[in-house]
Amino acid sequence: MEDRPLAEDELVAQARQGDTRAFGALVEEHQTLAFRTAYLFTGSAADAEDAVQEAFVKAYRALGRFRRGAPFRPWLFAIVANEARNRRRSAGRRERLALRAAEDPLSGGAVPSPEAAIVDAERREELLAAVESLREEDRLAIGCRYFLGLTEEETASTLGWRRGTVKSRTSRALERLRERLEVSP
Amino acid sequence: MTELERALVLLGEELAFPPAPDVSVRVLARVAEPPPRRRRRALVLVVAALAVAIGAAFAVPQARTAILDFFGLRGATVQRVETLPVVPPRTAQALDLGRELEPEELEGALVPSALGPPDAAYVSQEPYGRRVTLVYRPGDGIPESIFTGVGVLVTEFVGEADDAFVDKLADASTSVERVQVGPYDGLWLEGGPHVVMVESRAGSYEDRGRLAGNTLLLERGDVLVRIEGDLSRERAIEIAESLE
Repeated sequence: MEDRPLAEDELVAQARQGDTRAFGALVEEHQTLAFRTAYLFTGSAADAEDAVQEAFVKAYRALGRFRRGAPFRPWLFAIVANEARNRRRSAGRRERLALRAAEDPLSGGAVPSPEAAIVDAERREELLAAVESLREEDRLAIGCRYFLGLTEEETASTLGWRRGTVKSRTSRALERLRERLEVSP
Repeated sequence: MTELERALVLLGEELAFPPAPDVSVRVLARVAEPPPRRRRRALVLVVAALAVAIGAAFAVPQARTAILDFFGLRGATVQRVETLPVVPPRTAQALDLGRELEPEELEGALVPSALGPPDAAYVSQEPYGRRVTLVYRPGDGIPESIFTGVGVLVTEFVGEADDAFVDKLADASTSVERVQVGPYDGLWLEGGPHVVMVESRAGSYEDRGRLAGNTLLLERGDVLVRIEGDLSRERAIEIAESLE
């Protein structure tokens, strides 16, 4: 069971009893990734924020139906995704994902030489453009699995697919991505 | 992990996601309040309004959307009408479910483990997307439905269109209730028969109306699931929760 903190089951149990502080700890634990997941759907920070807030409130009210001992995140993210989808409809165009500007601080790691950084940036732009050009289903599979680092189980729950479907759709999406990268020089 | 997969993981680390806002204070403030009352008043108003406006609303998609938000899931809407349209009785053979699927073709479809593998499965390509239907024979505590002639029908609509694509018309003898199935939103229709209509992408209604019995509508990811049969609410939810 990955490295899920032992305390999570307890926090959930306490939150079920109406302990809002315990629930607050769960919110803090999951809200960043929840927001990014919602953003993957909405492409709008305001809609994603709204979806995440609403999802946490709904999750709290539905805690009584949460299966004891089950991992919390897949369950939560199914609710987040549902809220995000509902908001996507009303909003205008989805903003595309973008790379961080070069001067933005990186999340650790060695600083590449300037030439290498430019080459890398070009390749990444190309890869990102290829991902963005995929159909929605493929883009979401890639986004959940690789950009957000969700497990297969979490991805299945978030997208409302079976695990086998996550596997097959992800490998199909990778295949399409490969084709596109080969076509563009 | 392949090279491409590694490149995607690295790319993910370089993405400029907007900064995640801290919603904890607002969430906690909201959960500290008692949950809002069900929208009974609103529902009553809508029922009244719909009974009058139904004709006009049908013709004006925007009006329809606005009014039906109260009953709607993303892919389905339930409308109250004073009298149900007359539809010819259908038998199981005439349910028009599409092409029969081989068991191995069921990969990717949601199957309720509470019922096990279906006795038969069908797929049809509709203007709004793909429709997969699982058919369960009566037996094992499942009576034959007088509306479908079978035990349980599980229908999965995989929509490609953005608009609502299943409409149900219910008269006063049917109760409509919001239910929660695990993390998903659902609607439970019980009591009198209602009419299932399928909307084409063009916005007109295909002549596919038929009478239906107790039904659970469930929005699950991008799939709209309809579970129909002579079932109790609890049993229907149990079946819905076992979908995987």
